[in-house]
Amino acid sequence: MSELFVGKSIPRVDLEKVTGRAQFMNDIKLPRMLYGKILYSKRPHALIKSIDTSQAEKLRGVRAVLTGFNTPDVRVGFIGDQTPLKKDKVRQFRDEVAAVAAIDEETAEEALELIKVEYEDLPAIYDPFEAMKEDAPLIHEVDPRGKPRRNNILPLPWKLEAGDIEKGRAESAFVVKDTFHTTWVHQTCMGTSGCICEFDLNDNLIFRSVTNVPFGGKDRMDMFLRNIGIKGSTRVLTPYVGGSFGSKLDTDIYEFICALLAWETKCPVKILFSREEEFLASPPRQPTVSTVEQGCDKNGKLTFRKVDMILDNGAYTSWGATTPSVMMVTISSLYNVPNLSYQATCVYTNNIYAQAMRGYGNPQATWVIENSIDQLAEEAGIDPLEFRKINANKPFTETPMRLKITTCPMTECLDEVKTKLDWENKHGKQDGRGVGVAAFVHVGGGARVYRSDAQGIIMKVDDDGKLTIITGGTDQGQGSETIIRQMAAEATGLRPEDVSIFLGDTEVCPWDVGTHASRHAFITGHAILLAAKDVKRKILTLAARWMGTVIGKEIKRRARRNPDYVAPEIDFDVLADPDMLDLQEGEIFVKSDPENKDLRVPLPLILRPHTWWEPVRGKWSWPRLFTILPMKCSTGKGRGTCPAATPSEPMASRWKWTRRPAM
Amino acid sequence: MTQSIQFTVNGDLVQVDVQPHWTLLRVLRDVLELNGVKQGCGEGECGACTVLVNGAPINSCIYPILEAEGKEILTIEGLLGKDNSLHPLQQAFLKKAGVQCGFCTPGMIMSAKALLDANPNPSEDEIRHAIAGNMCRCTGYVQIVESIQHAAELKSKQSE
Amino acid sequence: MRTFEYLKPTSVKEALELLDQYGEKAKLIAGGTDVMVQWKKRILSPDYLISLRNVPELHVIDYDADLKIGAGTTHRALELSPIIQEHFPVILDAVSNLGSVQVRCSATMGGNICNAAPSADTAPPLLVLDTEVHAVSSKGERSIPISEFFGGPSRTVLEHGEIVTHFQIPRPSPNTGMAYWKLTRRAAMDLPILGVAVLLSFQEPDAVTCNKARIGLGVAAPTPMRAKKAEAFLEGKVIDEKVLAEAGAMAVEEASPRTSIRGSKWYRESLIPVLVRRTGLRCQQRVKGAAA
Repeated sequence: MSELFVGKSIPRVDLEKVTGRAQFMNDIKLPRMLYGKILYSKRPHALIKSIDTSQAEKLRGVRAVLTGFNTPDVRVGFIGDQTPLKKDKVRQFRDEVAAVAAIDEETAEEALELIKVEYEDLPAIYDPFEAMKEDAPLIHEVDPRGKPRRNNILPLPWKLEAGDIEKGRAESAFVVKDTFHTTWVHQTCMGTSGCICEFDLNDNLIFRSVTNVPFGGKDRMDMFLRNIGIKGSTRVLTPYVGGSFGSKLDTDIYEFICALLAWETKCPVKILFSREEEFLASPPRQPTVSTVEQGCDKNGKLTFRKVDMILDNGAYTSWGATTPSVMMVTISSLYNVPNLSYQATCVYTNNIYAQAMRGYGNPQATWVIENSIDQLAEEAGIDPLEFRKINANKPFTETPMRLKITTCPMTECLDEVKTKLDWENKHGKQDGRGVGVAAFVHVGGGARVYRSDAQGIIMKVDDDGKLTIITGGTDQGQGSETIIRQMAAEATGLRPEDVSIFLGDTEVCPWDVGTHASRHAFITGHAILLAAKDVKRKILTLAARWMGTVIGKEIKRRARRNPDYVAPEIDFDVLADPDMLDLQEGEIFVKSDPENKDLRVPLPLILRPHTWWEPVRGKWSWPRLFTILPMKCSTGKGRGTCPAATPSEPMASRWKWTRRPAM
Repeated sequence: MTQSIQFTVNGDLVQVDVQPHWTLLRVLRDVLELNGVKQGCGEGECGACTVLVNGAPINSCIYPILEAEGKEILTIEGLLGKDNSLHPLQQAFLKKAGVQCGFCTPGMIMSAKALLDANPNPSEDEIRHAIAGNMCRCTGYVQIVESIQHAAELKSKQSE
Repeated sequence: MRTFEYLKPTSVKEALELLDQYGEKAKLIAGGTDVMVQWKKRILSPDYLISLRNVPELHVIDYDADLKIGAGTTHRALELSPIIQEHFPVILDAVSNLGSVQVRCSATMGGNICNAAPSADTAPPLLVLDTEVHAVSSKGERSIPISEFFGGPSRTVLEHGEIVTHFQIPRPSPNTGMAYWKLTRRAAMDLPILGVAVLLSFQEPDAVTCNKARIGLGVAAPTPMRAKKAEAFLEGKVIDEKVLAEAGAMAVEEASPRTSIRGSKWYRESLIPVLVRRTGLRCQQRVKGAAA
């Protein structure tokens, strides 16, 4: 069957964005809202001797001044190696030392200038190799559990071993070895980071966040609340987000600080980074130093590969330290290499700490592997494109990571590239400019990074025949709202313009692991397929009950109006069988006779009979179909939540539609 | 030092009380609540705050508010027709996917508007030259250029 | 509250009076693309900003015996000016790739020169055009050759109370080619790693023998500068790649670039001969193109 909407180009649904109506974090103002600002250490490694906030507290318009000394000593972050506000010492240029909430941004900034911090500078380490030396000063004296640390190496070893390196080395005709460096890269989202924290009267935190992992953010915030002794839980609301590129995976330190300020002041508090602050205080890509040794036999077939990688972890730990999990795929599975050793070590330094940034480590790994492949090809005297073909993965192989490759047209792809680049004539034959080739593999579509890779979808069809999709996902510009609409229309049999989406509220939306890791369209698509199957079945069952009645009435109406009208013969048994009916583009029809106009009924006529025939007794919302989707992807069970009935709004007549919670 | 000034925004004459150090961006966003105008960098580098002053695109984040006196300002909000009809640029950005996260979009569209007003049929080079001051991190600019080309086509069809 | 008073004179005379009245507490602002950023970053905190935007006599592009560019002329106005497009391609090269359209719609020639950044894009072109900077104060008027105008990074020889009114540029002799080459990391919205302007006048339209040469360098020294020895070397020579490269090598001797975030000293030093050669060739091509 050919698709009606999927695979076709439809306009983006971003009407609010092109008209300036989209509400980003920058645009949200709440009654009684205060503005939070953070004082950074601006020195890489120092003991805090004292913090004097007395002048700042006296400034008119200041509502709270927080430091590590008047806030709970609670650890946050991926492995809990920092507190929101630092008390004893600072370990990086951007360490948060104090925070202020005031009636406007200018007052908050003025207050920061009045805070006096006395430091005693310590020797700082900027190089991970220096940090690994025996006599290197310790960045962290104790681990998150309070046990003394002996060195600056993170207890997070990454290791993958397969085959026998020494055997591979012995079989090699050519071997190359080199060391490669990659540096920090900032996500530089056009919208800077920011959040609003607000406590309700039951001590629940309403957390307006730019996260693309709303339920992860909720989880981390809930734990933080518990740890500081607040009994409420967190509701995450996400507005439009001005880009992510990995920067919105983790819950950032400023967000915990914002919650502390909101708790202290009992007012909504907004922290919004300036552009300068965004560069200074948000975690970029993780730098790496990799030593690669690999060999091939005289025919160019890879014999072994050994990669030792050092990651500059910076002063604290976020998701950046887990990027070797993705690098591992590139290193083990981009080419067929039987004997493999990969080891990655994360090292604390006094540099800025890092987290996810586009590709989650893969750009670093690909850069390293592809450079080394070029070197080895040159050493072996083999054309670099041919060399890649010799080692390209083939279908039905298993890689050292035990990933099963089922389809893999890598060889064909390289051939195509060869033709299109005019490789024979251009490679190495021009002065000063030329062509090169590199290959790339990436995880995606549910990388099994988490225990569950689930995505919840709730579908709700109202009596107007419109479909509302409630999803736990987020959109940071990738276009998931458009593709959800395409997929849902295709799968249910409605039109894209009949589909509206509600997202961005953990109180209403079903659980979702997060919109990242190139998984969203794929996983959501599968959830939609399952939910749509259910919804469609329910609609067709209802249709089977009412089709005959609706069509019969229509025939009588026509006969009444036109005495010459010849009523068609109708097989009412067919109409009463859900298996004989189908729904497409918002109309129910008989499968065996789709062109017969007499037998096509718009969906609302099927869904509305009750509002005609029965007295309306507070049942306006019927029929409303709910499907809660236990979505699975390889790991089995997913989760869902109980749907909350939201009042249906009139549909506008043109492209619009994503509804976010009122901010 | 509050001063009261008048200027036109999207066709409406407004009078606002301002401080001399305020920027046009601050007044548009905080006083007039025209939130379509974005602050991306605050120093004239990224173009998210682009609005037209007497038809010329400027970075409103470094435009002293007192210079706006008596001027005609056009923001993204002013592109929508009275009947909520979309401007060809807005239609084209949806059709050709020139919008992703949407943060740069209002400024981008305003720069494109200034271009098409002066040059209804721009080449790709001319388009790239015109939007050089509008940073986008999502699209890689290809779909934005296509959107502006498509808008030019829509506009010329409209005027036929 | 940190703020300033914003004054909007409508004549040079009025602006001068305000400057005298407020003395060191006042600062001139033209397009504001530098001043507003510096104010936000707390580099500048004047009590009074005197705006020159509303002084019509500063907004002129007049080409008669000489070219006169008012100090308040925006880069955008220059970019769109048929006079500049036709007769002064070296200025067009500089102003059409300075900042963005948005910046150029506000930023002025006077502002760019008076801000006196070593990277000011319009400085090398004005240097090779033998520009005279006209300044006025309540005490009178004076003209300063642009080669003597810059006193150091972000410093000019202007005294407080002086306003630059216009730039006077002599009409180039026939058979003159001029070009500006700006090397940047990004194609747009960037400051130059190195900026090179070259002006070559030839005896004949064949663009063979050079009788006047000017080389202006940006970001090659604490101020925009001329490479006078290299200029003298070129005058009287038959211009080709080799001669231009030699001149470029001499220009390196005259320059004193430093290492900054945009480029290192050695890189800039190795760039100078390359860009002098390329820009010189472009001048030659422009003369030949005009003749053909």
